[in-house]
Amino acid sequence: MRFNYRHLDWKLVGAVMALSLIGIITIFSSQYYSNSAYQQTYWLRQLVWLVLAFVAFLAVVRFPQRLFDASAYGLYGVSLVLLILVLAVGHTRMGASRWFDLGPVSFSPSDIAKLAALLTIARFFAYTRLPAYSKRRLAVSAIIVILPMMLILKQPDLGTSLTFPVILFALWFWSGLSPWYLVLIVSPIISMVAAYYWLSWAVYLVALLIFLASLRPGLIFSIGVVVMNLAFGMITPFIWERLADYQKNRILTFLNPGHDPRGAGYQIIQSKIAIGSGGVIGKGYLQGSQARLDYLPERHTDFIFSVLGEEFGLIGALIVIGLFTFIFFRCIRIAARCRSRFASYTCFGATAVLFFQFAVNIGMTLGLMPVTGLPLPFVSYGGTGLLLSWVLIGLIVAADHHWQEY
Amino acid sequence: MHKTTLSHIGRLQATYVVVTGVFVLFFVGLIKLQIFEHSELATLAENNRIRVVPIEPRRGVVFDRQGRVIVGDRPSYTVSVVPAEERKGLTIPHLAPILDLDTTQIRRRVKRNAASPYQPAPIRRDVPFDAIAVLEEQNSEFPGVNYQLDRVREYSVDLRAEAFTGHVGEVSEQEMERNPQADYRLGSTIGKKGVEKQYDDLLRGVEGTAFIEVTALGEVLGEYKGKERVPPVPGCDLTLSIDNDVQLAAIQALDTQDQKFSNMKLQSDSAPIIHRAGAIVAIDPRTGEILAMTSAPGFDPNTFSGMITDSMWQAISTDPAHPLLNRPLAGLYPPGSTFKLLTLGAGLESGVIDENTTFRPCLGGYQFGNRFFKCWEKRGHGVQNSIHAVEMSCDAYFYQLGLKVGVDQMYRYAMLCGFGKKTGVDLPSELSGLMPSVQYYDKRYGKNGWTKALVLNTAIGQGEVLTTPLQLAQFYCGIANWGTVYKPHLVTKVTHPNGRVDQIEPQVSFQLPFSRSTLAIMREGLRLVVEGGSGTARRLRNNLYSVCGKTGTAQNPHGEDHSWFVGFAPIENPEIVVCALVENAGHGSEVAAPVAKKVIEVYMKKKLGLLEPQQQPEPMAQVGAKELRP
Ligand SMILES: [Zn+2]
Repeated sequence: MRFNYRHLDWKLVGAVMALSLIGIITIFSSQYYSNSAYQQTYWLRQLVWLVLAFVAFLAVVRFPQRLFDASAYGLYGVSLVLLILVLAVGHTRMGASRWFDLGPVSFSPSDIAKLAALLTIARFFAYTRLPAYSKRRLAVSAIIVILPMMLILKQPDLGTSLTFPVILFALWFWSGLSPWYLVLIVSPIISMVAAYYWLSWAVYLVALLIFLASLRPGLIFSIGVVVMNLAFGMITPFIWERLADYQKNRILTFLNPGHDPRGAGYQIIQSKIAIGSGGVIGKGYLQGSQARLDYLPERHTDFIFSVLGEEFGLIGALIVIGLFTFIFFRCIRIAARCRSRFASYTCFGATAVLFFQFAVNIGMTLGLMPVTGLPLPFVSYGGTGLLLSWVLIGLIVAADHHWQEY
Repeated sequence: MHKTTLSHIGRLQATYVVVTGVFVLFFVGLIKLQIFEHSELATLAENNRIRVVPIEPRRGVVFDRQGRVIVGDRPSYTVSVVPAEERKGLTIPHLAPILDLDTTQIRRRVKRNAASPYQPAPIRRDVPFDAIAVLEEQNSEFPGVNYQLDRVREYSVDLRAEAFTGHVGEVSEQEMERNPQADYRLGSTIGKKGVEKQYDDLLRGVEGTAFIEVTALGEVLGEYKGKERVPPVPGCDLTLSIDNDVQLAAIQALDTQDQKFSNMKLQSDSAPIIHRAGAIVAIDPRTGEILAMTSAPGFDPNTFSGMITDSMWQAISTDPAHPLLNRPLAGLYPPGSTFKLLTLGAGLESGVIDENTTFRPCLGGYQFGNRFFKCWEKRGHGVQNSIHAVEMSCDAYFYQLGLKVGVDQMYRYAMLCGFGKKTGVDLPSELSGLMPSVQYYDKRYGKNGWTKALVLNTAIGQGEVLTTPLQLAQFYCGIANWGTVYKPHLVTKVTHPNGRVDQIEPQVSFQLPFSRSTLAIMREGLRLVVEGGSGTARRLRNNLYSVCGKTGTAQNPHGEDHSWFVGFAPIENPEIVVCALVENAGHGSEVAAPVAKKVIEVYMKKKLGLLEPQQQPEPMAQVGAKELRP
């Protein structure tokens, strides 16, 4: 069995590489007029990281697949330790402790935790062979994601911590759980929101009962769902009422930073102005005025797509979301045809992570979703993020490669 | 059962649908922004700017117990400069004389906003209207300058309430760094002291925001239609336990017309009223509610509401009369004879004496080793039991009692009575005072460097021991309330902007370490101080109500003795504890006792329905900056 590069999915890798290069070009433009010499070298640093990420990608592809499932649990343990450590001794930036400072690079263990949780659930599902509806299977997999999620929520980093339930739900779904059950499982949260006004809550509860009656998911499960819905719906307004307005405001700003009009709310306005003013063909490379005039903060990371939309217009923006969509289609196809369960779960979970970040980030820049601070995979500035995204692609490509081997 | 489970192919197709759906959603979103809203957004990008203007919320109002406004606000104008629109060499030099500031001060304030050059940087609050009229008329002379209607905090000057209201001011950069999660902004008004600081989170409310569209030249086009304004959320209103009549009585009681009690030289003798330095605290012992609190000399908190100039700040902060010292909770004084009640309680409770115990007679003092410790009464008090020792405040008796109790037990009981630690009143910057322990003496004088002689001084409230007027009032609240001490507090009610009202319930803080019989003996001593034939506060006796208390004269190494009185009324069922301290005024019985009496009297007369209709206080300036200083 010899390794043959020709069998790799080069169309997929090419699309990912194209996005990464577009990212570097846009990062260069976003900092072109910056006063800080350091910021002007962001593009160069990203280029170095891209080289590293590509090496890591090749390493993942060349490694025997066994190595990943064998190391999953160990990696999971290490990631938990790192998350606890970063809370204790990590570097604090803007009130959140997410980074370890390692000389010139700082590194965030949340990315490792994502990978570890993904591999751990994939391995657990692939080898315990419990039925999709087994209570033990649901409970253990939930615990696997809740631990790192809570630690990341404490940093606090809402956006990243939401990636964990996404991995869990994606793998529950992919391993055979009906999507309607997923709806029922998250229903207490919907109940919480609906309970803000009694009439909407009543309508929601009736709908829930009809839904349960038609789905018939088992008595104990149904009762559990109803009790949780009632409890969440009744307690929340009670607690909410007891809070002073400034406390409510802090919670709202935490859940949706766009709520704070001088911070993230302002960013969204500027992002929409930047994209909209780009028009169909864009203002041209290095010609974006919104980015240049410092209107758009975080323009090299979270709002990189706004810079892109302003300078390259609808055409450029469509190329980028088109490349992403192509990548996701390709990845999902690979996940569907993997013979090994572990590989299939890993592929689907990795795709879900990338898709979630893509959807949340672009949705945010277009003003369709709350501001969560998730970067755009492959395109946004950020070394560890780029590296992790490429490793995920490596896992997917490797799974495909091995599929072709057998 | 799981008939709804999707097949493998079904799941694959469902996933494709989701990915395609998101693609279509983003496609539509892009078309909407880049084709349909393109021209509008392009104009915004090229010519106009969105200026984010904060809308200040109404800061909560502070009421007294009768519902009268102690702290409210009034409309005023704030002038700001937008850094990016300011014309160098034109805007700031033109603005400086109008705002009565110098150019460097303005420049410093504009510079602080450098990080967000399109947002207005507040330069000066509470700008007089004629200055605004000039800015309005000669608009073009002031590029980048704008003004808006704001509110400025207004304090009732009559009540001289700054000891507990505190004041507001502009948030400092350190405060912003210390609270990264609070929504402070450069120029935000926050509470700096007192209730304003303690309850800032409740009072402040939540800032709103307006999005104003302006041209590149700074011309305002109106609100930006693309984003709705966020209305501000007003702050909560607070109701304090302060009783207007008692508070007025307290501030008037400290003033005197008798030149003898002035420690300041007067410039002209046509101003007969002398403002004495000191503190008064009145507490309802049944709840811990503070009825009155004052610190003299004080300052005018309105000074800080607008923008305080450096010279004004210099004048207040370096005033030798310390108007910024909040005496009731941050002034540290030896308690003097008022502390003898603690010594008595410790002696009775630890069993070293009973109420009838007598010691060697007082012959004007007590010989300890080779040193003679004087009693305040040079003629001596002879032999007496513990109750009469309190009545006459005989130092010799308490020297001997202190020796029997010892340093350790004195310390233990004092700590259990709340000395040497904060009372936990709902005000910031309270001090804990000092109660010396064996460890303290060891550290200060060396392991064998001190003798029992020190406990003689502690026993009569002299030497190292330091208390705040609030701590003493708290201790006497415990005696008045048969041992149960409620946490002193000011806020009794929080009214939220949505109408919800939170009542703040009284909270038991601790129990005095004394049995009911011990407390009965202590109270009998206090009663005789007023009603006994040789009591030190006989002049408080009256036909209307019963009152008791203890005088104190605290030796002060820096000048004249401080004068103390702590007492309560009515004796049978006490409703008010008053602690009065007059700095450098001499004997407690001569100065502080009559001061406290005026406060107690107003409360009791009011209770009995004998209070004449509201006496208005004579209008007088704060601080006494003009009157007091030569
Ligand atoms: Zn004596």
